[in-house]
Order: sequence, then C-alpha cells, then structure tokens
Amino acid sequence: MTHEELEEAIPLYAVGALERSERQAIEAHLLSGCGACHAALKEYQTVASHLPFGLTPATPPNTLKAKIMSAPAPLAGTADVEKPGSRSSLEPGEWMNHLFPPIAPARSWPFRFAMGFAGLAIVLGGGYLAWLSFTQSAERSGEIQQLQAAVQQATARVATLQADAQRREQAVGTLKSELDQRATELADVRDQLIQREAELDDVRAQLTQRESSLQRLARQNEEFSGFFKNPASKVVSLSGSEMAKSAGAFILFDPVTKKAWLYAFNLPALPNGKVYQLWAIDEKPVSAGVFGLDTGQKGRMLIRNLHEFSRMKKFAVTVEPDGGVPQPTGAIYLVGQI
Amino acid sequence: MESASRQAASSIEPKLLTRVVKGDPQAFGQLYDQSSTLLFTLAYRILSDREEAAELLQEVYLEVWRKIAKYDPGRGTPIAWLVTLTRSRAIDRLRSRASRGQQLLPASLEHPLVSQTPDVSPNPYEAQEDSELRQTMAKAILELPLPQQQAIEMAFYQGLTHTEIAAKLNQPLGTVKTRIKLAMTKLRAALHHTLPQGEGL
Repeated sequence: MTHEELEEAIPLYAVGALERSERQAIEAHLLSGCGACHAALKEYQTVASHLPFGLTPATPPNTLKAKIMSAPAPLAGTADVEKPGSRSSLEPGEWMNHLFPPIAPARSWPFRFAMGFAGLAIVLGGGYLAWLSFTQSAERSGEIQQLQAAVQQATARVATLQADAQRREQAVGTLKSELDQRATELADVRDQLIQREAELDDVRAQLTQRESSLQRLARQNEEFSGFFKNPASKVVSLSGSEMAKSAGAFILFDPVTKKAWLYAFNLPALPNGKVYQLWAIDEKPVSAGVFGLDTGQKGRMLIRNLHEFSRMKKFAVTVEPDGGVPQPTGAIYLVGQI
Repeated sequence: MESASRQAASSIEPKLLTRVVKGDPQAFGQLYDQSSTLLFTLAYRILSDREEAAELLQEVYLEVWRKIAKYDPGRGTPIAWLVTLTRSRAIDRLRSRASRGQQLLPASLEHPLVSQTPDVSPNPYEAQEDSELRQTMAKAILELPLPQQQAIEMAFYQGLTHTEIAAKLNQPLGTVKTRIKLAMTKLRAALHHTLPQGEGL
C-alpha cells in the first residue's frame, strides 16, 4: 500500500471496517512513526468513539453498579497492573491491540499451572500477611511492608516468567511446525528420488539391451562385409517360388573360411511352430540350417561350415516344423541354381 | 451519586483514571457513573439484549479495573478508550453468537437501511457537555445520506469489514469504502468545534 492509500484507509481503520491484512499494514506503518497518520488516526478514533453519543441513551440496570463494585478488586501488582512510575506509556502497537485485541492463544496446561501457582502464591502471601497483622504487634508493621514488597516482587517475577514461558511456547510451536514442514518436504524428495532411481534402472536395462543388439549387429556386419572383401567369394541368388513370388535371397560363400551368409527378403510371415530351412542340394538335399524372420520380413543366417560348395547344384528354402527336419517335407519358397 | 452522574462521559479526566490505577474505589465508582450509560447504550445497541449488555458491561469494567494502568492519555481520551474496549468485546460476543449458529443480528436490524433514529431531546439527568455532544452527533448522523449512515452502522455496530458490507449490500467495494470515508470525514467536520483544544480536531 502506498502512503496515500494508507492515509485514506485510516477512517476505515478507526471505524473497524478493514480486513485483517489491511489493519496489519496500517499498524506496521504507524509503528514506523508516521506523525501525520498518527494524528489522523487519533482524530478519526475520537470520531468513532463519539458515534454512540448519537444513540438514544439506554440506562443500565440499577443493580449493575453494586455488582461491579462488589467484585473483588484486583490486588496491586497483579499481572496487568504495573508498578506506578515504572512505565508511563504504552509500547508502540499496544494501543492498536486495545482497538482490535488479538484472539488470545490457547494456553497450555503448564501455563495454566503456572497461572494457578501464581494465584496460589498471591493468596498464600496475602494470608500470611493477614495472619501476621493479626498476631503481631504494630511494631511489626515495617516487617509487614517488607513482606508485602517481597510478595509484589515475587508476583512481578512470576509475571515475567509467565511471559517468558509463553514466548518460548510460541517459539517451540513455530519450530515444530517448521520441522513438520521440512519432514514432509524431505519425504516428498525421498519419494521422487526412489521414482528417479527406478526410471534410471529402466533406462540402464534398455541401454544394455540396445548395446548387446548393437554389438550383435556389428558382429554380423563385420562378418557380412568380410565376404565382400574376399575376391574369391561366390554368390548364389535365390528367387521366390509360386508360394512367394516377390521373395528373394542370396547366399555369399567364402571358400577360405567355408562360411556362408544367407540374406532373404520379402518372405511371408511364418505360422507358429514353423521355421524356414535352407537346403544345399547335390544328389539329395542336405540341411544347411534353419532361420526365422525379423520384423522387416527379412531372414539372415550365417552358415559356419558349408563343405563342398563347388559340388552343390542348387539351394532351396522350405517351410518346416520348428527345429528343422532331416529331409524337406514342406513347400519350396525359394530356389536358386549355382 | 447524582452529582457524579451529571459529570460528562465525554470529559472524563485522565486524573480520575490515575486515581483508579492507585486502587481508589471511589474513583472507580465515579468512572462508572460517568461512563456506564454511554457504554451500556453502546453494548445494548450492538447486542440488542439488555441482560447480555449488562453482563458484558460487568466484564468490561472488570477488565478496565485490571488494565487501567495500561491506558495511555497520549493515544486518546479516556472515553475513547472505554468505548473502543466495550465495542470490541461486544462485537466479539456477536461473532461468537454467529459461530454458535445463533442469529447474528437482532430482527430490528435485518433491514440495514433503517438506522435507529437518534433521540435529540434534552435529558435532565445528562451532563451539559454530553447533551450538546449527543445533539451534535445525532444531527450530523441524520444529515448523512442514508447509504453512508448504513455503511457506518454496519461497520461500527455490526462489526462488519468493508468486504462483508459490500457483499451484503451487493455493492462494489470501492463504493462502500468511499461511503465510509465520506461519512467519517463529515462527522469529523461536524464535531470539530465541540471537542476540547488539543484533541487535534
């Protein structure tokens, strides 16, 4: 709030029409020592306190005064009454508290106990004084006064201790709520950490999987490229039968290492429990291994030891039960002459 | 006691309070005589219940008796302090009634546009200063436009904030604030010549 806004809000403050946050803003401003606003508040406060003069007077019950006057007067030196001359004016802000008294915080049992104890101390002190005055002679009056002063001092000390205890209680309360908040935050952070760790494990597992498949591919590529590096390598191409017209394959053979590499494409997906089987055919077909298809309908197979390639007349691929069979039983999908 | 009762509530001397601080019961009795009618009028106006107003006044005077050492003449007149304390305690009761689910406002105030008509006739048992002040104040209030009277009334006697008043009247907040400010400024001007010098008015 600007100073102008604060100044404008003073009549509303005086008549009690401001919200709590606005009241606090004005009180903070008044505590800063703004003389103009102090003067304005005093004026408007007087106006507000004169409002009841505009009402039709109502007379209180006749018995009320007697009731009030017969109530025990508080002893000089009780918590709210200060020793004359010890402090002639209010601390800053207390006037505001009078205007809008804060809601008293619930007092704890130790505090109530302290209050009760203080009351008891005063009563006992008073009783002791009465007993003294009754039993002792007038010569003891000096002593009585001393004791009275001592009681007053003790009472003042109890009041100080009470205020101190209340302050500490509030401080402990504040600390406790801060601690609770920190604990909640910590628990949240811990939960997040556990979640992150789990996510990290997932990522790590995926990475390992990728890494091993990459390594496998790299190995295959290396072997595959080895066939092209060798000028003696031979190639046989296979074409699709009636069963798979668009399919095709080729076989690379390295006569030095006796390794062969099959690469097939556009083959139809296999039913469950079936595999493709490669046959090297001389007089009769000899199994050269079984293979499946990857997601791109491609088949790859490395044949580690293909002997007597030069004697072979043709190669064929059939569909066979899982694990392969000694002699072909299924339909031919690919075939190629050497 | 009659002579004491004719001393004005508006002119309670800070010296009287000093005597009360020292535990002088006669001074306390005089303080009661000078202020009780005004404070009871205020409590009755807020609570609309004579018995509850009397009960409240009993509490207020006991609080005054306890807290009087804290009164600082530099911050306002004795009657301003007493009125503020009484209003504050009465509004507390009003709110605690509301929190207990009881009716917040007496039936006569359910139509907040209707202000209680101030009685401007002279009262033979009233001190001269109070009588003059009452007439000035009543006249000044009657001269306020009705919406301004209403806003002041809802704030001071019903303990409502400007936001609550705006919501109740279904009026913009700015309008309510302006009404209160204007009303207070006019009342301040009307009271200007009736107050003792040094009051800042």
